[in-house]
Amino acid sequence: MAGEGFYQEYEVFSRRSDTSPMQYQFSLLAPNAELALVMAQENFLRRESASDIWVVKRSNIRKMTLDEKESLQRLDNKEYRNTKGYGYLKKKWRQYEQGMLDEKEIMSWGGKQSDENPHS
Amino acid sequence: MDNAISFEMLTEEEKYKHFIERIEAKSKIEADDWMPEEYRKTLIKLISMHGISEIMGALPEKEWVPKAPSLKRKLGIMAKVQDEMGHGQLLLRVAEDLMKPYGKNRENIMQDLFTGELKFHNVFHMEAPTWADAGLIGWLVDGAAIITQTNMLDASYGPYARALKRICAEEVFHAQHGESIIMALAEGTAEQRAMVQDSLNRWWEALLMFFGPGDSSTTGTSKQDITIKYHIRTKTNEQLRQDFFTKYIPRVLSLGLKLPDESMRFDDESGKWLYRQPDWSRFKEIIKNKGPKSESRLRLRKISYETNEWVREALSSRSSGM
Repeated sequence: MAGEGFYQEYEVFSRRSDTSPMQYQFSLLAPNAELALVMAQENFLRRESASDIWVVKRSNIRKMTLDEKESLQRLDNKEYRNTKGYGYLKKKWRQYEQGMLDEKEIMSWGGKQSDENPHS
Repeated sequence: MDNAISFEMLTEEEKYKHFIERIEAKSKIEADDWMPEEYRKTLIKLISMHGISEIMGALPEKEWVPKAPSLKRKLGIMAKVQDEMGHGQLLLRVAEDLMKPYGKNRENIMQDLFTGELKFHNVFHMEAPTWADAGLIGWLVDGAAIITQTNMLDASYGPYARALKRICAEEVFHAQHGESIIMALAEGTAEQRAMVQDSLNRWWEALLMFFGPGDSSTTGTSKQDITIKYHIRTKTNEQLRQDFFTKYIPRVLSLGLKLPDESMRFDDESGKWLYRQPDWSRFKEIIKNKGPKSESRLRLRKISYETNEWVREALSSRSSGM
């Protein structure tokens, strides 16, 4: 690919750790993707830790127009999609003398070996 | 949806109204969004000046990298100089995206700096002859910068607000780095304490000037009304200067330093600091690149730009991609 000048626009993304989401950092100018990676570390990651960095040429990104962005406004009627719509279960389970397996509880399981088995 | 298909079809007047509604509703304006010409031009002027000042501001401090009194201090000041260049990179990106519709880019910013068209901050035209100046720049110049920059953290222009968020977080380190140098000197020998006092005397006027004139009567023009109107900042120059006094004067005094303005006092009645105005005609001269170090720092910047030209050449159009 022939170069298109020294000042090419790149958008920079990085992941703080292996399990963190890719996060947008900022844009920078660089003559090619390799130097964009070097600049990304110099410009945005002098202190913060990172486990991965992506640089994307800005011209390859399809951004939304102002109109499209406005069409993203959500109606506030999505309770049936969220646990919020099922919050009454907590009270119900209490009647059966059981705790609720809520998101916090379930996400904490994480494949760890149990310390003890209550049935052993 | 009605408004989802119609924005491009609005008249200029309707677009303006829509724009004002958005900034009043605290939604952020992005680079590709429609914006009034006056907004774009004000932002370009403000942000390119801010960006280039970060870069020119690294120069008085970098003079102290080889002369820092210990390895720890050397590492600290090197990190700070590097941050300033990083801030310059962030801000120039924001300015460049705004200039794009005018067909301008970084090359133009650099050329405008060299011709004097683009000005840089008054404080960076001044000399930093002692190690106390290195400390005072971090403590009070960066302190003043924190006051003006935090005032714009909620700016209506999204890219600037995001850049400032990163910058302010690092400024906290800069301020503490400066405080640490000043504290060591203030608790040191009589000679070291005198060095801090000298430095404060030397920087006092520049610090007052930092926030700009109170109104346009002093220098002919002032952008502060426009930046407030468009929700780029909230406070006036004078309010920011007063905030700076309130935060820093007690700290300056607590270290046993004397204010270079013996008439200065806090007036309970008006709730304001009363102080002697700096010489604003001198301010005008300084920002026209007629300050004590203006020429030599611009020359340094120009030499580095020209010396590195071959690198830009080698890596641009004539090189094939790796």
